[in-house]
Amino acid sequence: MKRHSWMRKQQWAGYAFILPNMVGILLFFIIPALFSFGLMFTNYQFANPNVSFTGLDNLKRMFQDDQFYRAIQHTAIFLLSVPVSLVLAFLVALVLNRSVYLKGLLRGMFFLPYISSGVAVAFVWMLLFQPSHGPINEALRWIGIASPPGWFADSDTAMYAIDIVQVWFMLGYNMIIYLAALQEVSAEQMEAATIDGAGKGTITWKIVWPLVSPTTFLLLVTGLIMTMKSFAIIQAITQGGPSGSTTILSLYVYKTAFSYYEMGYASTVSWFLFAVILVITIVQWIGQKRWVHY
Amino acid sequence: MRKSKWWMASMSVVLTAGLLAGCGGNGDAKEGGASSPSGSSESSGNSGSSGSKTKLTLWGAVPAEAGPQAVIDAWNSENPDIEVEYLRYVNDDGGNLKLDTALMTGQDADLFISYSLTRLQKRVDAGVALDLSAKTDYDIDAQMGPDAALWKIDGKYYGMPTKKNMSFIWLNKQMLDDAGLPIPPLDWTWDDLKAYAAKLKKDNVYGLLQHDSSYTATLDGTIAGLGDTNAEGKSNFNNELWKSHLQTLHDMMFVDKSTPEYGEQLTSKMPVDTMFLKGEAAMLSAGEFIFRNANNLAEFPHDFQIAFATVPRVTADQKDFKYPGGLGDALSVNAKSKNQDAAWKFAKWYADGGMLPMASGGRLPSSKSVSSDEAIKLLLQGVENMYDVDSLNKVVFGSFESFQLSIPQQVIDARKEEYEKYFLNKQDLDTTLANMAKRHEEFIK
Repeated sequence: MKRHSWMRKQQWAGYAFILPNMVGILLFFIIPALFSFGLMFTNYQFANPNVSFTGLDNLKRMFQDDQFYRAIQHTAIFLLSVPVSLVLAFLVALVLNRSVYLKGLLRGMFFLPYISSGVAVAFVWMLLFQPSHGPINEALRWIGIASPPGWFADSDTAMYAIDIVQVWFMLGYNMIIYLAALQEVSAEQMEAATIDGAGKGTITWKIVWPLVSPTTFLLLVTGLIMTMKSFAIIQAITQGGPSGSTTILSLYVYKTAFSYYEMGYASTVSWFLFAVILVITIVQWIGQKRWVHY
Repeated sequence: MRKSKWWMASMSVVLTAGLLAGCGGNGDAKEGGASSPSGSSESSGNSGSSGSKTKLTLWGAVPAEAGPQAVIDAWNSENPDIEVEYLRYVNDDGGNLKLDTALMTGQDADLFISYSLTRLQKRVDAGVALDLSAKTDYDIDAQMGPDAALWKIDGKYYGMPTKKNMSFIWLNKQMLDDAGLPIPPLDWTWDDLKAYAAKLKKDNVYGLLQHDSSYTATLDGTIAGLGDTNAEGKSNFNNELWKSHLQTLHDMMFVDKSTPEYGEQLTSKMPVDTMFLKGEAAMLSAGEFIFRNANNLAEFPHDFQIAFATVPRVTADQKDFKYPGGLGDALSVNAKSKNQDAAWKFAKWYADGGMLPMASGGRLPSSKSVSSDEAIKLLLQGVENMYDVDSLNKVVFGSFESFQLSIPQQVIDARKEEYEKYFLNKQDLDTTLANMAKRHEEFIK
C-alpha cells in the first residue's frame, strides 16, 4: 500500500513535467482538429460570421468533385517517389558503407538537399528543368533526343518531374538512416554467406535487405505520411499547375481553405486525407508481418 | 498488441497535428516576410505614456519604401495626436489571409487597403469593413468620379477607391521607329497587335510580353461588356470573342513565335518588366506599377523612349469592350476598430492628397482635390524625356470605360486551368471554351 502511494506521487511528478507540452498539444492540435471535424458539417467561410449546418453536403460535394478525384490521382503519383527514393537510398548507403574514396564528403553531399531551403531547391530545379535551354534538356538534345519532355511546363510530365525532385530531396535523409542500419548488419553473417557461395547480389537482396527491413518499414511509413502531407516543393515550383496537373490532395486542401476560404469543404477533404493516411498506415502495420524481420 | 495501439494513437495525434501544423507553418513563413513593421514613428517611445494619443495601424501591400513610409511620416508630423503605423502585407493568398485573420481577431488593423473587389467583398461579408457611404462629410462619388461606383457593394461604399488603375501596352519606341511602325491608334485590335509583334520580333527580342496581372485583361474586359451570364442564366464564357482572342495568342506563340510559349513563360517565371526595360521585348502588356522600375534608371538602365498603347480590342466592331483600369486601392476603415473617427480622418486626408508621395511609383490619386498636374510631375520627375508625351497623355492619362472584375476566384482558377490546357496544346479550342463555360455553370448553380 505504501509503495503504491509512492508510485502515485512519482506519477504526478511525471504528469506535471509533461503538462506544458500537453496543454500546447491540446490547445493547438487536438481542439483545432476536433473543431475542423465539426466544420465538415457546415458551410463556414473563413472570417464570415454567417454559418449554418449543412449536414453531409460537403461529403456529397466531395464525392462529385472532379478536382478532388484528380487530386487523388496526382497524390498517388507523388507517393511513387517514396519507394523509389528508398531503394536508391539503400543502394547509395551500401556503396558508401564500403571503403570508397571521399566517403565523408559524399555522405555530406547526399545529405545536403535535406537541409537546404525548399524554395531555393525549387528554383534550382526550375532552372535545371527549364524546357528550352535548361541544362537537362540541352543534355538530352545533345545525346540525340530531338524533343525532350517539357517537365514542369507540360501537364503530362509535371507530376513526374516533381517526383524526381522529391526523390532527390528525400535521398539524403533515407541514406543516413540506412547507413546507421547497415552498421548493425554483422560481418559474420555476410562472411558465412560468402563461404556458402553466395554472390554479391544474393548477399545484398537475400541477407542485407531483409536485415534492414525494420528500417525500411520505418522509412516507408514515415515517408508515405510525410509525402502525403507535404506540398511546399510543389507550391514553390508549380503552384499546382500547369492546368492543375500537380495539385495533390494536401495542396487542394490548402487552396480551398486559404485561397477560396471554404473552410467547411477544406475540412472535409483534409479529414478524408487523414482517413487515407490512417488506412495506409494500418495496412502497412498489418502487412509488415510478411516482410519485416526484427 | 498494446504497443501497436499506443503507436496508432500517437500516430493519429501526430498526423492531425501535422496537418494543422503544415498549414500554420506556411502562414508563419509568409508572416515573416510581410510583417516587418516599418514605423519610423515607433522610435518616439512616448506613445504609451500619453493617454490622449491615438495609434492607428494601416495595412497595405506597397513596400514601405515605395511611398507609404513618406506618406505616414508626413501625417505623423502634422498630426501629433494621431500616430499611424504602416504594416505591409504581401498581396497574395498568404498575405491576404494574414490581413483577414488580423481583421477577424481584432488585432491592430484600423485601416486596410484592398486591391480587388472580390477580396473586399469577403471583408464586407465578414463584417469588418465600415460603410463609408453613411459618412456625410465626404462624397466619394463626387470626389472620385464615376468609376468609383464600380467599387460599390450592394449600393454602398465599404472601401474608398483612392488611385487610378491603369493597364496598357508599353512600347519600346525605338524599336517601333526602327521597324517603321507608328504608335498604334487607341482603337487598335489584337490582329493589329499580332502584326506589330510579328514585325518587331528579332533574335532574342520578343514582339510581345505579357505580365501575369494583364494576361487576361482582354478576356476580362470582354466578359465585363458581355456580362458573365446570358439572359437564361447560362455562362457567357463560351463566346466567339474569347475564342478569337485565345486563337490569336496561340498563333502568336506557335506560328509567329512573337510571344513566349505559355509553358516557357510559366516555368521560367519570366521577369517580363526587366526584360522589356533591357530591350528584350518590343511591347509589354502590364499595369502602371511598371513605372516604379521604368523610372529607376539606376537599377534598370535603358536609353529608349517608352510610348503607350491601349489594351487592344478583339475585333474592330466589338461593342462594349471595357478597358482594364478604373480606380483601385480601396481604403477601408475596420468596423471593429476602436478609433474609427481618427481612422476616417486619416482616410480622407490620404485620399485627398496625403498619398501623393506614392505617385512617383505610378499611383496617381483619383480624388479631384488633388491637382493631377502635380501628381504627373511627381511621376515623371527627372525622367520626362524617357516617355513619348503624346501617347502618355492619350493612354495613361486618357479616360476609358472601365470595369472591376467581380468573378469569384474559384471561377478564375478554373478558367485558367482550361486555357492553360489550350496553350499547352493538350486540348483544342472548342473543348476549352466548352469546359470554361461548364465549370463556370457548375460553380454558379
